[in-house]
Formats: sequence, structure tokens, C-alpha cells
Amino acid sequence: MRVVVAEDLFLLRDGLTRLLTAHDFEIAAAVDNAPGLLSALLEQRPDVAIVDVRLPPTFADDGLQAALTARREVPGLPVVLLSQYVEQLYARELLADQAGAVGYLLKDRVFNDDQFVDAIRTVAGGGTVMDPEVVTKLLGRRSKDEPVSRLSGREREVLALMAEGRSNVAIAQRLFITEKAVSKHTTSIFTKLDLAASEDDNRRVLAVLAYLNA
Amino acid sequence: MLVLLWRILTQILRRFGWGLLLVPVAALGIALFGLSVWTVAAVILAAVVAVQWPGAAARALPVTMVGAGVSGLVVAGRISGSPVSWVVKSIAAPFAFRKPGAPMPPGAIGPTRWFAYAPSGGGFQVLLSPKAVQNFNQAAMNAKIAAVKAGAVTKRVFLPKPGGGPKQVIASPKGAVAQSVLPKGPMPGAGRAFTAMPRFAVGPPPGALAKLHAAGAAVRPPWAVRGEMFPPAGLWHGRLLVPVALLLLTLGLWLTPRSLAGLRGRGATLAPEVRRWLVENRWGVLLVPVTLIGLTIFGLHPWTIAAVVAAVVVLARWPRIAADLVPVTLAVFAVRGFELAANWQSMAANFQGPGFGGPSVEYAAVLVHSPSTALLAGAQASAFLAFGAWLVPRTIGTHARSTFTPGTDPELVGRVQRLTETRTHAVDAATSELRRIERDLHDGAQARLVALGMNLRAVERVLPTNPQAALALVAEARESSVRALSELRDLIRGIYPPVLADRGLGHAVRALALDTPLPTELDIDLPGRLSAPVESACYFAIAEALANAVKHSGARRVQIRIRHADNILRIEVADDGVGGADPTQGTGLQGVERRLGTFDGILAVSSPPGGPTMVVMEVPCELSSPKTYSS
Repeated sequence: MRVVVAEDLFLLRDGLTRLLTAHDFEIAAAVDNAPGLLSALLEQRPDVAIVDVRLPPTFADDGLQAALTARREVPGLPVVLLSQYVEQLYARELLADQAGAVGYLLKDRVFNDDQFVDAIRTVAGGGTVMDPEVVTKLLGRRSKDEPVSRLSGREREVLALMAEGRSNVAIAQRLFITEKAVSKHTTSIFTKLDLAASEDDNRRVLAVLAYLNA
Repeated sequence: MLVLLWRILTQILRRFGWGLLLVPVAALGIALFGLSVWTVAAVILAAVVAVQWPGAAARALPVTMVGAGVSGLVVAGRISGSPVSWVVKSIAAPFAFRKPGAPMPPGAIGPTRWFAYAPSGGGFQVLLSPKAVQNFNQAAMNAKIAAVKAGAVTKRVFLPKPGGGPKQVIASPKGAVAQSVLPKGPMPGAGRAFTAMPRFAVGPPPGALAKLHAAGAAVRPPWAVRGEMFPPAGLWHGRLLVPVALLLLTLGLWLTPRSLAGLRGRGATLAPEVRRWLVENRWGVLLVPVTLIGLTIFGLHPWTIAAVVAAVVVLARWPRIAADLVPVTLAVFAVRGFELAANWQSMAANFQGPGFGGPSVEYAAVLVHSPSTALLAGAQASAFLAFGAWLVPRTIGTHARSTFTPGTDPELVGRVQRLTETRTHAVDAATSELRRIERDLHDGAQARLVALGMNLRAVERVLPTNPQAALALVAEARESSVRALSELRDLIRGIYPPVLADRGLGHAVRALALDTPLPTELDIDLPGRLSAPVESACYFAIAEALANAVKHSGARRVQIRIRHADNILRIEVADDGVGGADPTQGTGLQGVERRLGTFDGILAVSSPPGGPTMVVMEVPCELSSPKTYSS
């Protein structure tokens, strides 16, 4: 799987490259600035890109802007944004095109390399992965909301994990319940939130995120 | 037919609104001032405005009506015989060059300044400037000796060109004054003001002056402007002028408050400004009326008029200097007055004022032509001097004191006090902010790193003997680093939120609204970035107001409005909660007020019990690097 890495701090860039190589990724390009990232994305057309939000030249949200630009050129180009902080505003902009194949994670998530690599593979496969912190904020915002407050505690846990982009199998493992129980919870959640149920994991995540983001 | 006309009229009015009435009101100008480039241009302008900007025309209509009414009354005041003119004349009498009806002395050789108005001939003004007198005397000596010798009255009329100065000299027919000054037939330039000089060789024929006055010879008030137009004779000024002017004035005054309702918001903020300016510059404001009095002391000359204009300019640009000039000007008047009192006879001979049984000089309210009037002028001069002396400590004295002993100017003292206060607040805030950051780092990230180091040391120790325990310790260490990062993140967010750094206030407030559990409506129009300190202060101010709305108000929705206009950033945070917020209670809003105070910003809270609550902040600042963003 071919990856483009964009990170301006040498230590982190180097660490990411090692980690990815160790997990059988092929590094197509490792860049340290936004213009370099944009041209790498458009020329290399990687299977997935891992991008730091804050990049030179202006050290503002250049990485995010470059990723959004590339996705306008190449719709659905898989991109995982990494950042020291997560902002709902930026999550919204990433999800706005409804094309999926985006991830938005705190840099801390790199510590758990298995989960991190899973997330990258999910995004490369067209899935959507949101950092738990984003999901917590989204749920917090909707907590006074009628339909969300009708969910049971377990259903809320399942909803949060769904919004993070996890599959039924992963949710079942995480909560130590059976896959069947998970799908029962999901059906119940979709009914309570009045969402159209979907077998496709990816569509399901997007529907949940769109609901929480509204 | 009438019904059809009415229908067409209402249709047109519906199409263009009431503003279209501006055109007929402007057309009245033609009836009032005659057909000229100006009056026709006014009508065209009115038509264009009415069609192009109907709203503006409708707003301008009442003001224009008031203006038309007032000018109608002013014109009526100029017309001899109309009731208004008698009122004006009695008010203007003290300032007049000549008392109305005072007899022209026989044998008064030399120029006489007076004003004549002849309704039947269209009316004109007779006014002599000293220069014109000289010119005329030359011309008369050269050309009209015969006429003078014959005892006839000679009149010369100088038609003023737009640039001024005599253009044409017309010798009048021989005969009585009334005949020559007030020609019967149409005359070139009838209806204009003229500069002319009646010159009497042996005195006017008996009865001529009486006729002249009966025909409307009147005094010339000092504010009459040379070269202006007078209304043509006829129904207008005779019968209809006063009633129509009064009708327009009344209608206009009645309509004005309605049309100005929209402007009242702006006016309300302007009125205290104007009042403050007047209070601050009250002595400077005096300069304009004082220089106007100068017109009655030194006469109407280019340099006296220039002095009035200069007074207005100085007042507008340098109000303090204007205040200082008032006593100086009064002193100059006083010197002239004392000179007159002592030396009036020779000065009057030179000055050649209006005939008053002999030479005379005017001095403000008195016409000096006798010892008693000279004394009166002296008394007036003393009054001027006394007033000037009384003003000195209040104007020049204060300003000199504040210049030579800095620190006594109340305005400066207030400013210094305010700056000291806000600087103290800023320094205190910065210090406590640093203390907070230091404490957070010390208790948070630093402690976690210490724990991390100890964990790793423990791993080193147990790894050879107990790898299982070492694994658990490593997991703990990783957990510790995650927490340290999370705490650092929160700390950074509190110091300078990342979105604010990335994208500026507009986006940061949007991000803030997304993190707020209340539905938040945003109306942000910021075509550029603010300076970083202002951005940060405003961001935390909005965050505080928003947090208050969430915590205390019980509101269901919040509105945030941000605008930048005239170098003022205005932020409004409004909620529909229970109200009763008191900015003097609790430290949150006080802190915001102090923080904004550093930038000369202000905070106002309106929160009546029962709500709604509105927090308004205004910070003077500039926008930089135009980037378009609005949400």
C-alpha cells in the first residue's frame, strides 16, 4: 500500500515512516510542507495520505487546506489528518463532501500502532475514522437533544464507537459483547434517531456523523 | 378627466414613492428665485434623485420642504410691504447701514450706501463699495459733468459680472430720483442686485425720497449678499408667497420626524458627540459670532469676510486656537472703539458712511456721528474689552498653563489615569496568566514526565527478572504520556486557541459555537484579520459571554454578531434567557472589561430581569490582510 506522509517535524516524520514501513506500507513520498504535499498527492496518487494539519509555509492549517484541495481535484482521495488538537470545525470541513475515505486523529493515537494502522487501512479502503475526542464533543453537543437522550447507556457507547468509524466486529471486541448484540443495538439506535439503516459500514458511519454534525 | 389625472398621479406616486414630490418642491425654486442655471439644475437633480434613489428622495422631501418654506419667508422678508418684511426690518434695524425712512440729507455729496427694492421693476439693490465709489466718481467727473451741473440726478448702474466689478455704465434719464433709481420699463439685468451710486448735485427734488420709500426702499441688512436674485414681480410675492411658504414649512416640519426616524439611530450616537464638542470648545465657538460683529465694525470688505471664513476654519481644525483668538479679536474691537470715541470726526470724514446730517462711522450697534454716539461707541468698546479680559484666564491662561506645566490639562490627566489603570490591569492579567501556566505545567505535564521517567527506571530494573511486570509498567508509562499530552493540549487551548491562530477570530468563534451545547446563530462579517492581541482578547471575551449564557441564563438560543466598521470592531452576544446579569457581580465580565480596556475597548451589558441579555463590546482596531470570510 503506497503512502504519502506530510509532517514538518523531522523526528515525527521519521518515526511515522519507520512505523509504516514496519507494517508493510510503501512510502511514496515524505514531505515537510504544504505545496510539496499537494504536488505529491496529485502526482503520486497514493492509496492513502497521512497529513499534519499544521504545516509550513504559514504554519496555520496549511496541511488541511492542501488535503481539501487535493480531494477537490481527486474526489475520495483517502486522507488521514493528524493534529495536536482536534476541532469540530475542521472535522466538518473534512466530512462535508460526503465522499468518505477521511480520517481525523490526534497525534497521540500513533502510540497505539495497531489501532493507528487499522485506522489507516480503514480510510484507505474508503472508510471514515474520527478521533474519539471529536465524537465525544459531537455527542456532548447533542446531549440535550431529545432523540440522543432517549438512547440507553450501552447504545450511546455503541453510537460513539460507530461514529469513530469502527466496524461491528471491532465494536463487539471493544465492548466484550457478541456481534449479534452489537447489530441489535445499532438497529435500535437507527430507529430511535430515525436514520435509514444500512448494511454498508462506511455509509453507516457517514450517516451517524452527518446526524451528529447537523 | 380629473379622475383620470388623479389615477395617473397615484400610479406614478406608487411607482416612485413620495420622493417624486421632490420635483414639484424643487420647481417652486424657479418660481421663487427665477429661471436660472441653478434653479433648473436643482429641478433636474431632484428628478434624478427621485427616480434613482426613491428612498433617499422620500427622506429628503421634508427637509427640502422646510428649506423651501424658510427661503420663501426670507424672500418675503426682503419684499417691502409684506407683513414678514416689517418683522425682519425691525429686527435688522440696529445692524442697518441706514435707518429705514431716514431722510436723505440735501446736498450730501459723495457716495451713499443704501438698498432699494422696486417691486414693479423686478427689484434691485443699490450698494456701494468704496472701490466702486472711486470708480464711479472718476467716471462721473469725466463723462457726466453736464448732467450734474444741470441739477439733474444722475444714476449709474454697475451690472455685476459673475466675477464682480463694474461691467456696464448706464446713464439714467434726467428727472427725479424715484424715476431714475426705479426705472419704469424693463431694464437690462432687472431682478438682480446692483452696485450703483446716486449722486446729488444740489439735493434730490422734494418728494422724490418719499416716493422712493413708498416704492420700497429699505435698509440693507448686513447679511444680504451681493449679486443675489430677487423674485420677479407678480402674484407670487404679492399674495401667495407667504401662505405657500408657511404651508410648506408646516408640512415639512410635520413630516421631518417621520422621515428622520431611520437616521435617529445614527443621530442618537452623534448628539452626545456634538454636545461634548460644544462643551469642550464653548469659548472657541464664540469666535464666529465675534468675527460677525467685526463686519459691523469694519464694514463689509473682502478681508472681513475672509476673517469670518477663517474663524469657521480655525474653529473646525484648531478649536483651542479659536478660543485663544476670541479675547484677541475683542481687544482689537476695543482699540477701534476707543480710537473712534477720541477721534470720531476725522475718522468719520474718511470713512464716508451713510448720510446722517454729516459724516458718520458705524461701530457695531451704534452709528457714530455725534459726540454722544462717540461716547456710546466708547462704552461698547469698554464692554468688549471687559469681556475679552474676563475670557483671558479661561482661554489663553488655561492653555498656556497646560502647555508650560504638563499634567494639569484635565483631558490629558484623565487619559494618563486611564492608561495607567489599563496598563496595571494588563500587567496584572499577564502575570496571573503566567502564574496559571506555570502552575498547570508544574502540576500537570511536568509531574507526568517525572512519573514517566520513574516508570522507565523501574522497567530497567525489573526487565531482566520479571518481563511481565515490565510490560505493565511500560503500558502505564504510555498512558502517562497520553495524559501529559492531553493536559498540554488543554493548556495551549487556554493560552491561544489553535483555530484562532490558524484562521482568525471569525473561524475561531465558529469553532467555539460548535463546542457550545446551545444552538448558536452566527452573523460574522470580518473581511480581514485583526491584530493578534485584539483577536485573542475578543475571542476570550466572546467565550466568557457565551459561557455565561450557557451556565446562568437558561437561554434556548444565543446570537453572536460581529461587525467591523469605521475602525471599530463591534461584537454582540445576545441570548433569550432570564436576564438579570450584573457585570459588577462576579469576576468574569469584569475581567473581560479590563482586558478590552487595554485596547480602549468597552463592554456594555443590558440584562433586565426576565431577559433578554445582550452583551455589546466595541474595540477600536484596524483590519489587515483582506481575506474574505463570512458565515
